Amino acid sequence: MKFLCIDCDTAMKFKDVTRPEQGSVTAVFECPDCFTEIAMYLNPSETQMLKSMDLKLGGNSEAAQPMQMVRSQLETAKQDSMSNTISETGSEETVEGGKCPFTGVISDAFEEKSEPEPDSLTWTPEALERLERIPSFVRPMAKMGIESFAKENGHTEITGEIMDAARGNFPAQF
Amino acid sequence: MKSYKELPDDAGSNIIGQVTAQANRLSERLASVKYTVAIMSGKGGVGKSAITANIATALTLAGSAVGIVDADINGPTIAKMMGVRNATLEYAPTGVKPAITPLGTKIISMDLLLSEDDAPVLWNAHTQKDAFTWRSTMEVGALREFIGDTEWGELDYLLLDLPPGSDRLPNVVELIPNLGGVVVVTIPSEVSHLIVKKSITMARDVLKVPIIGIVENMSFYVCKHCGEHEPLFSAADTPDNTFQLTTLGKIPFDPKLSHCSDSGTSYLNEHPDTPASKAIIELAQKIQNFFNT
Repeated sequence: MKFLCIDCDTAMKFKDVTRPEQGSVTAVFECPDCFTEIAMYLNPSETQMLKSMDLKLGGNSEAAQPMQMVRSQLETAKQDSMSNTISETGSEETVEGGKCPFTGVISDAFEEKSEPEPDSLTWTPEALERLERIPSFVRPMAKMGIESFAKENGHTEITGEIMDAARGNFPAQF
Repeated sequence: MKSYKELPDDAGSNIIGQVTAQANRLSERLASVKYTVAIMSGKGGVGKSAITANIATALTLAGSAVGIVDADINGPTIAKMMGVRNATLEYAPTGVKPAITPLGTKIISMDLLLSEDDAPVLWNAHTQKDAFTWRSTMEVGALREFIGDTEWGELDYLLLDLPPGSDRLPNVVELIPNLGGVVVVTIPSEVSHLIVKKSITMARDVLKVPIIGIVENMSFYVCKHCGEHEPLFSAADTPDNTFQLTTLGKIPFDPKLSHCSDSGTSYLNEHPDTPASKAIIELAQKIQNFFNT
């Protein structure tokens, strides 16, 4: 896939990708000339296809780990099937609970958000209700933008007022 | 407005580069393997896995370094047949160390990764609905990792035990374009021949893969009282005539072979003088001859 900024006639560059939410990944691309951003949404099937091919949007900067796709994607894997690792220096490391030591590396682009991060933002019911009214195809992008705005301005809770303040920055109305 | 070809890359994802890197990992790993051999049939229940396990043992006993990839991702049996089901795999940055039988055959199988006896292969996904759209891709990816990410070391033979279906060999050939050869397994029944013919056409005419020959498994039963050969099935013709291929062997049915498969012990070691053991050893020799002459 390639993306062109029509105004600048310039190839857009990958900027960011979200972890899947409800099975869908959002990738952001930016024009290097005018800095216009676009979001590309992959539906769950497309996201899963990418996972199954062990490919990463935005490129793979990490060295491939042995059997990384199987180890990170096999849901019915036994916990101790590969419980020992041998580091590059040759010393053996035991992995607690048999969890894959490369999970952090592997899941960069694909692991579903299962728990809120410690510093994550909370949404008030009113704000969530307004978020739900945003058309679904732009909702992930709007949510990302509002959260980014809130973090940049030191807020930990997203309210209707913060949404109003953030609204000027986004094309979608909410 | 620039065309697709005028844009320099895919916005930085370098998907082609990622796919190429996967292929390179595979070919680098296979550089230390002399011969890759797929054991296939197309038909289920003809004894492909038992034949694979015993060919591997015969080749190992003959002094070759042998590995087996259990390519039956959803129905893996090789680890049990080879007695390594309880092995814990170890990984290093350079690859996963395979399970190793007491004789030294190296094994990789999905069975070594599954949590319980009754656990199916279930892939992580937001939903399992419409999984048919990506499950096959996931399975080929798993096979690619099994072949390419296992620390085989120097091998003379890497055997791939294929699942049923004439569509499986093309996946293997995609991963291993220079596949050394194929051993086809059948039983003497018209039903089996009907399906096996399709697999042979796929291998020989579509994929242009060398066919080492055909093995007729469960060819007959040797009466333990009088030594007479009794047929178990009713195929009207021999595999030589039916398939126009070299017959590598006719393996008699022996309940002891089944018992050894269940217990994970070596049939060739425990029952070296049976007609089936002799036929399997001869079969392994013919495979060696195929590559060495």
